[in-house]
Amino acid sequence: MKVSLRWLQEHIDLPTTDAAELAGVFTSIGLEVEGVEALEADWTGVFVGKVLEVAPHPDADRIRVCQVDIGAGPTQIVCGAWNFDAGVYVPVAVPGAVLPGDFEIGERTIRGVTSHGMICSERELGLGEDHAGILVLDGEEEPGRPFAELVELPDVVFDLAIGPNRPDAMSMVGLARDLAAYYDIEYRTPPDDLVTVPGDTELRVVIEDPTGCRRFVAREIRGVTVGRSPMWMRHRLAKAGMRPISNVVDVTNYVMLELGHPLHAFDADSISGNELAVRRASEGETLVTLDGEERRLLPDDLIIYDQDGPTSMSGTMGGERSEVGDETTRVIMEAASWDPPTIMYMSRRHGLRSEASLRFERGVDPELADRANRRASALVAQLSGGEVLEGAVDEIAAPWQPAVVELKMADVDRLLGPGLAADHVADILERLEMKVDRGDPMRVVVPTFRPDLTRPADLVEEVARIHGYDRFEARIPTGPAGGLTARQRRMRRITETLAGAGLSQALSLPFVGEPDLEKLGIEGLGLLTVKNPLREEESKLRPTMLPGLLNALRRNLSYGATGVHLFETGRVFLVDPDDEDPRLPSQPMRLAWVLHGPFGMSVDGRPSVESDGRVSLAVWRRLAETIGIEMRLVPGSAPGFHPGRTAAVEVAGEAIGHVGELHPEAARAFEIPGRVGIAELDYEPLLAEVPNVAGFTPSVYPHVDFDLSFRVSDDTLAVDLLRVTNAAAGELLESSWVFDEFRGPDGERAIAIRYRLRARDRTLTNDEVAPIRRAMIEAGAGIGADLRGA
Amino acid sequence: MDPLATLDEALRSAGPMVAEASTVDEIDRVESALLGKDSPLGQVRRAMATLAAEDRPKVGARLNEVTVEIESLIHAKRRELQALEDAARLAEDSFDVTLESVRLPAGTRHLIHQVIDEVVDIFVGLGYRVAEGPEAELAYYNFDALNTPKTHPARLESDTMYLEWGAPDDEVLLRTQTSPVQARYMESHQPPVYIVAPGRTYRTDTVDATHLPVFHQIEGLAVDEGLTLGDLRGTLAHFAREFFGSRTEVRLRPSFFPFTEPSAELDVSCFICGGSDPSCRVCGGGGWLEMLGCGMVDPNVLVAAGYDPEVLSGFAFGVGVERLAMVRHGLDSIKNFIENDIRFLRQFR
Repeated sequence: MKVSLRWLQEHIDLPTTDAAELAGVFTSIGLEVEGVEALEADWTGVFVGKVLEVAPHPDADRIRVCQVDIGAGPTQIVCGAWNFDAGVYVPVAVPGAVLPGDFEIGERTIRGVTSHGMICSERELGLGEDHAGILVLDGEEEPGRPFAELVELPDVVFDLAIGPNRPDAMSMVGLARDLAAYYDIEYRTPPDDLVTVPGDTELRVVIEDPTGCRRFVAREIRGVTVGRSPMWMRHRLAKAGMRPISNVVDVTNYVMLELGHPLHAFDADSISGNELAVRRASEGETLVTLDGEERRLLPDDLIIYDQDGPTSMSGTMGGERSEVGDETTRVIMEAASWDPPTIMYMSRRHGLRSEASLRFERGVDPELADRANRRASALVAQLSGGEVLEGAVDEIAAPWQPAVVELKMADVDRLLGPGLAADHVADILERLEMKVDRGDPMRVVVPTFRPDLTRPADLVEEVARIHGYDRFEARIPTGPAGGLTARQRRMRRITETLAGAGLSQALSLPFVGEPDLEKLGIEGLGLLTVKNPLREEESKLRPTMLPGLLNALRRNLSYGATGVHLFETGRVFLVDPDDEDPRLPSQPMRLAWVLHGPFGMSVDGRPSVESDGRVSLAVWRRLAETIGIEMRLVPGSAPGFHPGRTAAVEVAGEAIGHVGELHPEAARAFEIPGRVGIAELDYEPLLAEVPNVAGFTPSVYPHVDFDLSFRVSDDTLAVDLLRVTNAAAGELLESSWVFDEFRGPDGERAIAIRYRLRARDRTLTNDEVAPIRRAMIEAGAGIGADLRGA
Repeated sequence: MDPLATLDEALRSAGPMVAEASTVDEIDRVESALLGKDSPLGQVRRAMATLAAEDRPKVGARLNEVTVEIESLIHAKRRELQALEDAARLAEDSFDVTLESVRLPAGTRHLIHQVIDEVVDIFVGLGYRVAEGPEAELAYYNFDALNTPKTHPARLESDTMYLEWGAPDDEVLLRTQTSPVQARYMESHQPPVYIVAPGRTYRTDTVDATHLPVFHQIEGLAVDEGLTLGDLRGTLAHFAREFFGSRTEVRLRPSFFPFTEPSAELDVSCFICGGSDPSCRVCGGGGWLEMLGCGMVDPNVLVAAGYDPEVLSGFAFGVGVERLAMVRHGLDSIKNFIENDIRFLRQFR
């Protein structure tokens, strides 16, 4: 809401006019300042002049010679405009004045007559587009008064963001009231000076929906002449960001800004059947609103009808059919109390959020409806020459009561700390216009313009707000025992390990497109779907982490990156019920990575290795060792994975995912050249508690190393060969590792393993080692692996 | 032969011989020539047995003297030569230390996760625990348990993503805030409660420089006997100083959230200019940066959790992680956080 300081000052004598200080006060009482704009007149040297005399130019037909009093007797000014006569008041730029566009005014002689200045049009002053004639002021003014004062310049406009709980603060009077409470001073409301003529309006109002409409006040104004509203009003509206339209419509907006109650003016002669009825719309009805749009009404919309059908969207926007126009002479001024949620839903459904709906959706004081209506009717009568009929409509369909809250000092102390005196608390509430019966508890009657205050805690906030949030002593309480759980510490360990291995952590949006799933060979999988996505791309939740990472990889490659290694942890979403809370879909955490290009240490720019399935497995082994996971790898396959370069991972007997290489077809589909090491694993099993390591002191005795090379078939797994030979080596085995895989020309395959034996308590002898070695060879033979060269 | 004369002669000639040696190898040869078996000293040593008994002590003593003296000459020279040779070898063995010929690239954790951990650690230091909750969440925990009326605009489809899942009475949505973790935690734990809950949140927003449909929040909640608005302010001031720097000031200004009453926004003083630079790229000269929403836990939220609002009080806050990261690191586009450009990711170690 844009708030002109000059306008606000009409309602309150502020102790300061310093913009920064006032912005600080607004902020401290919860009225957020989004901007402060200093407005200056775009001219200098322009004063109010009274035209004393207008005479023809002796030597020119189209211009006239005027005598104008600008505070110091008659001044001669030549003027080419004809829209005025002697007696009116006009803005005069005197010699030396500078108008918008650096237009400097000097003395000029026009066909022998000297002009000591210029009478200005609205456009010449940058105040509007009107250039048909000069600007004739509305009433009597003091000659010689700086013209800027008439349009209240200089001024400061505060842009306030009023919270959804503060309908009361969306007006000049409301803001003055809040500031008055803050400063503990008085504020002023506009005059309640409606003059009526005898007679009753013939309009009937029927409220068929008392939930939607609590109260409907209507007054009839006759003999209205629609025209331009006075300059002061137009400029106040303009500063508030509203476009001046006509003296009737401007009044409704003006009073809304002034008092906070939106109003609507109907052309009374366009209301068919002299009846307005309020009810919900029926399917299929349409209404052309003031903005010229034809709106399809929906059954929950709250509509004002006349006998010809819908004529206005309640509290949101009027209809074109009953709009006040130049021909209007009879006006119905409406001020009604609409149901906040009804207006909130309707205005959003139709994308029609107006100044009126913003107020109604917060809740406008029903008490204010008649007050605002009287003020607006009086102003219309004053500005348009009309007469207000005494007999008005005031339908109350649902009466209201002010809220009464019992506030205990214990409530105040509990939330704000002890230290506020009960009298101080009561004083603050009274400054906010609550009626307080002192005592403990105090009985507080809340004014109806504060619908947000219904409970003790709400009143405590008011006390804190006016007292000052920052005036309560700061303390730092601590919890009884904090810290990360073992599971949370393991999460950090995992991400730190992967980062240490050269992988960077990615974060992808958790949505997926079905084409990306098809690229991975995933089809027909049920996907969790967003009912109301903003864009198609955000309609399906990911069942796998890989598409996000692969797309990120491709993007990085397109920027020229080499060596892209990304990992991500996050949730995937499945269309199965969650184990813990079956009302929810299953949303397990996953860990995934993609590895592409040179990996690990490089020497003189030459990488040690290019990423592929083996590198991916190396990353996984490093991780598993670091976090102490006992795991088993078996050849496996999964959609998107290379069938011959992928391991299924088992932890504690459960399959938890796959580590390996991207299927070449998927790589092609994602337009990624070369091999990609990938993995996708359930995260939870990696976070489970692991038994503590049983430590040992290393032996200081010498070791015995020997190599065995076994001839094996293609389907013998290295891991099985190690398992059986290690077992045969027994407790003296310290380590064993495959140091070579040999493939001969005839499809021969051999695996060479180096074993190291060591005893804890003695030096091993050849006699001891020989039978162990034999047993290991036999164990290999037992699974079809014969000693090579034997 | 006169052993004493031989010894004197050996000592005399030792000086120049040792001095002439120019390598460690040469000094080794000189050593053997002066002290070896066939050296004059060696001959005297062998001849000792043949000497007259009365000469023996004298010659023996002199032999030892001369031997020690020559050894010490050789030792000093060898050290000198060894040092020269070592220096020459090291000079030959050097490389350009500014040349990165061997590279061991490291990865990085995502800035968002670094910030989350940092914030979590600040609160863990105050005795908080870390709570988690589901991202696909019941409307009950996201709204109802948090005192959000059925008619609150945040529930509209224009703000909240709903899922095609669940019973009509148990609407499931993508949580719009981390606050439902509050409700879930209180439901299953007895006070006192001191928790932070970091996680992903969702809103129907289009991607632009300051909005993402998916972002991260950290929720904080403390419920105990005797917690007041001053405890909230002190706690958040502590957080702001730890996160942005020790000179950071905070201010609370009244605001509105359904789940807190009183509610507040926390602003922190600009940690770049403190409000002194009208063209500051971080605060724009205003001196204050909007940082988070907070407040005293609404009594209805306590009641929904089964807590007694007449006895307990508490405070809660929710901070946008992306906002924290953008402000502190001067980032101009939130999109950086989801594009996974390794040039972006690797800046933050």
